[in-house]
Amino acid sequence: MSSRGAASSSGGPQLGTSDSSKRISKKPKYSRFTQQELPACKPILTPGWVIATFVAVGIVFIPIGLASLFASQRVVEIVHRYDQECVPPIFSSDQLAYIQSSITNKTCTKNFTVPKRMKGPVYVYYQLDNFYQNHRRYVKSRSDTQLRSKAGELDISNCKPEATTGNNSPIVPCGLIAWSLFNDTYGFSMKNKVLNVSKKNIAWKSDQEHKFGSDVYPKNFQSGGLIGGAKLNASIPLSEQEDLIVWMRTAALPTFRKLYGKIETDLEANDEITVVIQNNYNTYSFGGRKRLVLSTTSWIGGKNDFLGIAYLTVGGFCMFLAIGFILLYVIKPRPLGDPAFLSWNRNPSGIMN
Amino acid sequence: MASERPLLIPSPRVLNTQDLFTVPVLLDLFKSNSGRPVSFSGMETKNPAENSSSVEGTLNSSSSRRSILSSHSKASGGGGNSIREVTFADMGSKPVRHGSRGADSEGLSTSQKEISDEDARLIYINDPVKTNEKFEFAGNSVRTSKYSFITFLPKNIFEQFHRVAYIYFLVIAVLNQLPQLAVFGRGVSVLPLAFVLSVTAIKNAYEDYRRHRSDRIENNRVASVLVNNQFQPKKWKEIRVGEIIKIHASETLPCDMVLLSTSDPTGVAYVQTVNLDGESNLKTRYAKQETLFKMPEKENVTGLIKCEKPNRNIYGFHANMEVDGKRLSLGPSNIILRGCELKNTEWGIGVAVYAGRETKAMLNNSGAPSKRSQLETHMNFEIILLSLFLIALCTVVSACALAWLLRHKKELNNLPYYRKWDYSRNKDYNYYNVGWEIFFTFLMSVIVFQIMIPISLYISMELVRLGQAYFMIRDTEMYDEASNSRFQCRSLNINEDLGQIKYVFSDKTGTLTENKMEFQRVSIWGVDYSGAKSQIEPVGYSVQVEGKVIKPKMNVKTDPELLQLSERRNDTKEGRHVYDFFLALAACNTIVPLVTDTSDPTVKMIDYQGESPDEQALVFNVLGLHEFDSDRKRMSVILGCPDKSVKVFVKGADTSMFGVIDKSLNMNIRRATESHLHDYSSLGLRTLVVGMRQLSASEFEQKSLEDAIVMSKKLMTVNGVTDNTGGSSEASPTPVALIIDGTSLVYILDSELEEKLFQLASKCSVVLCCRVAPLQKAGIVALVKNRTADMTLAIGDGANDVSMIQMADVGVGISGQEGRQAVMASDFAMGQFRFLVPLLLVHGHWNYQRMGYMILYNFYRNAVMVFILFWFVLFTAFTLTTAINEWSSMLYSIIYTSLPTIVVGILDKDLSRRTLLKYPQLYGAGQRHECYNAKLFWLTMVDTIWQSVAIFFIPLLAYWGSSIDISSLGDLWILAVVILVNLHLAIDVIRWTWTTHAVIWGSIIATFICVTVIDALPFLIGYWAIFHVAKTATFWLCLLASVIVGLIPRFVVKYLYQYYSPCDVQIAREAEKFGNLREVGDVQIEMNAILGPQRR
Repeated sequence: MSSRGAASSSGGPQLGTSDSSKRISKKPKYSRFTQQELPACKPILTPGWVIATFVAVGIVFIPIGLASLFASQRVVEIVHRYDQECVPPIFSSDQLAYIQSSITNKTCTKNFTVPKRMKGPVYVYYQLDNFYQNHRRYVKSRSDTQLRSKAGELDISNCKPEATTGNNSPIVPCGLIAWSLFNDTYGFSMKNKVLNVSKKNIAWKSDQEHKFGSDVYPKNFQSGGLIGGAKLNASIPLSEQEDLIVWMRTAALPTFRKLYGKIETDLEANDEITVVIQNNYNTYSFGGRKRLVLSTTSWIGGKNDFLGIAYLTVGGFCMFLAIGFILLYVIKPRPLGDPAFLSWNRNPSGIMN
Repeated sequence: MASERPLLIPSPRVLNTQDLFTVPVLLDLFKSNSGRPVSFSGMETKNPAENSSSVEGTLNSSSSRRSILSSHSKASGGGGNSIREVTFADMGSKPVRHGSRGADSEGLSTSQKEISDEDARLIYINDPVKTNEKFEFAGNSVRTSKYSFITFLPKNIFEQFHRVAYIYFLVIAVLNQLPQLAVFGRGVSVLPLAFVLSVTAIKNAYEDYRRHRSDRIENNRVASVLVNNQFQPKKWKEIRVGEIIKIHASETLPCDMVLLSTSDPTGVAYVQTVNLDGESNLKTRYAKQETLFKMPEKENVTGLIKCEKPNRNIYGFHANMEVDGKRLSLGPSNIILRGCELKNTEWGIGVAVYAGRETKAMLNNSGAPSKRSQLETHMNFEIILLSLFLIALCTVVSACALAWLLRHKKELNNLPYYRKWDYSRNKDYNYYNVGWEIFFTFLMSVIVFQIMIPISLYISMELVRLGQAYFMIRDTEMYDEASNSRFQCRSLNINEDLGQIKYVFSDKTGTLTENKMEFQRVSIWGVDYSGAKSQIEPVGYSVQVEGKVIKPKMNVKTDPELLQLSERRNDTKEGRHVYDFFLALAACNTIVPLVTDTSDPTVKMIDYQGESPDEQALVFNVLGLHEFDSDRKRMSVILGCPDKSVKVFVKGADTSMFGVIDKSLNMNIRRATESHLHDYSSLGLRTLVVGMRQLSASEFEQKSLEDAIVMSKKLMTVNGVTDNTGGSSEASPTPVALIIDGTSLVYILDSELEEKLFQLASKCSVVLCCRVAPLQKAGIVALVKNRTADMTLAIGDGANDVSMIQMADVGVGISGQEGRQAVMASDFAMGQFRFLVPLLLVHGHWNYQRMGYMILYNFYRNAVMVFILFWFVLFTAFTLTTAINEWSSMLYSIIYTSLPTIVVGILDKDLSRRTLLKYPQLYGAGQRHECYNAKLFWLTMVDTIWQSVAIFFIPLLAYWGSSIDISSLGDLWILAVVILVNLHLAIDVIRWTWTTHAVIWGSIIATFICVTVIDALPFLIGYWAIFHVAKTATFWLCLLASVIVGLIPRFVVKYLYQYYSPCDVQIAREAEKFGNLREVGDVQIEMNAILGPQRR
């Protein structure tokens, strides 16, 4: 892309141009396009437009902020951190030993009260803190080919170090993500009656249908030197293993929730709920925290005041700016397009810098 | 440079060979010393408008007619002593031409340098087989194309990788192929490289295809070549060195050949070299007398030509020829070059000596020199800053990663998301030690953040310049009807420099004046024939000769009074004087009338061609001719009139002519003439004095042999010739002007006085340098260029301007009468000087504004993406995961955001042509670097960081602790950033045409489509993410909030700045929009003359 292009088309001793070719006029054809005169709109930031814009932003943002804040406030959320409490006091100095031991009792019972009426479905989440599901080594450690079809079973190159068992047979599903599948379980009961938690339809339909094969069954899973998490029922195809599918939609941020299940019934205010937690998952080795979350939902999603506050702030700020600009305009207006303001007119000598 | 590139064609009538070798140097100086005040003015650029406006005025008043008289100054004849030796005895007989006599004469030819055998090529005349058997001379097929079908791919790719930018791409792509560093997939990582390579390759392929096509046409042209003693048509590409070729009138020469004979019994051939050096006048070439009468068809012509190796000097040739045992030396007047056309000569026969790519025309066929724009130089500095940013970001990431690794050192083996230990193999997996990990992290972060260095910017800039050039070339306001030439962009690298010119250096003669002169008024014997009488419309004046009407090609104003007087020459004394005057004008020149047929068979057209005298056209016998030269500053011709009287006519500059006037002349006449002279020159007319004396036969014999014919003049006339100079000096209302001449410059340049001259000159509005040599011109340009950071522009039309054009930051060539040398050396070429106004004030301003904005925008656009990636890295344990899909991040600068910036860079206009011409002061924006400077760069970078923070952290906080997955959040971020950068551009676009709307909104829509398509691919991790996330309100609220929050500061600052501290451009824009273009008194510069029909 040197200047050759231009040179060849315009300059250079053009050999053999005969007289006849010279007489053809090279006058460029007039068109509004080539003369750069296409009809155009030329917006200018006049005070009117700018103030109107900010007022408009304020008018749009403040109601949205109010609405989303209101929606967020209506969401009832019960968050319960249990990773510390569920370790018996004798192990508090060595939590790791507790969690890694196969003989310790991992069961842990907690009670809590529903603060407000929770309309079903009530979503049950587990929340992990300080768990980097977005770590480079971790996100890459999976084989989508293998998950999708039986034929791809041996496509395990990305899965190391959790690709094969000691005797080189492939692990299905392979990779660190599957290996570290969350394996705490929750059993809910209210007034000694078991609260049913539905584990169906917690994963994306699209994943179940296209990413996880119905002919792929777990194989050699969690049989290696280190157990990372949950075991899978080898007789259920991956497309039905919804906990795995949810887990394998890796979280974007180091603090994340994953859907555990849904309680389809409404929970009334002051209901006493008992949860029996099987505290199996090892977050103690890296200081991760575990929480159990029960939450209703709204159009805004879960409980999150941030967006509402942000919208109110921005809307308010824009209104403030609009008022400020109005005041500025009233105090110090400038006639638009007055040639008297041109630098050479302001400076009678006509000398520019 | 003078010695490397001779600039003018030496006259064929060079007498001795000594001159031949000194020609280059001599000629460089020649033109400027030739009595034509070659001025050379530097002025501050608030003035070009003033200058050109006044020039414009005079240009408009003078139509494009060209006076015969102008041609005297075109005497490009070489050397000093070109007087014709004619003995008195020749009088009445056929005049003898002395073309190659000098070189012929024995005494001189021995002094000629021998060509050593190693440096020579031997050509056996009419024996191409023998000629070509020993040495592989090039065939006559030319190849200007670079590639063939097979070599295209490797060769083109090899050439492309000469650019540092592409190597950067390549290194990044190669790094990414290492398994330890594989940030992106194999296919994705080569995408940007493949994209730019293929775009460039397609462009090159198209250009090469066009060259192939023109080569094919060229190679398949037909010439008649002697085969088996018969001239037969043969394709050009089959012609070989040594063959004898016959050229007919108006045919183009297929190769460089030595003339053997021509249709003219004296062996003259006229050639037009317009394709070679652009000079449209005819040049004479000579066949040797020894070969003149050989008929190649009948007798077998043999001989040996020993000539120098092919070189690119089109004005030099050095050879000798052995024919019939005689050894003849050949010079540049004996060779005719490929690309020339034979004119006024029925046929010419020659032997091919250089063919194909070895011809001088092809050797000269090189591109324009490349310059780098000032903006780009500044930009490269900022790119270094960006590289430092990049390194800083990578260092931060590496340092954090190091801290993280050290903190978690003990846990790494079992950490669920790290799992260093491979239990199936009992060794570490993909882990060496902390040092290596950090090193890899650093390299990986370079790969991830690679677009911080906006490589795509270089490609965008080239495309934008191409587009800008397209519009400059297409501008109807810069098309010259007279020469049928469009504006030419020869250099594509410096479009934007046109908007920042501070000093304009202009060659005066030819450039400002177009070298078009008109006969205006005359004073003959102290009688002034001028004034209102001659102000009549030009009519085609015609003469009837032998039943045929002959009229000049160009209509000339005729003064009926003068016409009458000259027709009654024998009646009155006055008539006699007038007649003599016109006789002098008609004889005392070197003009060839070319008679051409018109549609009406009885009417013939006469086109006067300078140079190459053809005395046959005159009734009178030219007995001697002393060409114009710079020492004598006059030209004389001796005529034998039909009445057997001998007259000498002299024509020249007043200074030289008054010295030789007959002292006995009537003092009144002399005074009257002098006062007329003074009047004429005060009017800005160029003057010329013509004199005549009758000679007795003996006197003639005696004097004419001398160099200087000094004699008294009886008749004295003064010509006033309009010289369209007006321009730089008188017309502009300038308080101070400096005039300096070449002789003084000799002492100033390259001495400590330079500094003083510079200081003095910078205090003046106009500096006029007269009589300067080409190298002095370059010296003046360098004087300014080296002492200021401001941009310089040199404009000129002649070969003597080449050095100045190349020296200046921007060189503009006028494709006028004086040949192509200036055009070939220039960056931009145009038909007329006045196009400089739209070029600088309009296109230059636009180009600068567009390019400056585009560079800043590209920096911003890429940096905002990099910062978003960077912020995310801080939340991934510093491991360079990208939430944004790798395809999207690669397509970001290729599809999502590239087109709008290119289109805006080509089409956006901050002000209309009308306003820019109305207020030339607006051009100052470029001189003050208003569109691209360090302050703007840093402001942009601060804005970039704010915008990236808004885009990144609003979704982050909204989704913190939620069940959002990495792909969905990535989709949100990429959409937000694409919308943001496109809206950012939208806020800054000044003129919204439908194309702007199409590309900006189209890019946003295209991004949505691409993101959707990518998420519809089941094998990618983000399968169907966009469909899930787009169903939630939070997604759209985040999108809206992050874009608005990102834009608010910029919007506020832009408004406050534009409203409360408006720059000139802003006020003019407002005035344009609100129709407030009030007249503002005398400060404004009158520019209306250049304003074409209503344009916005």
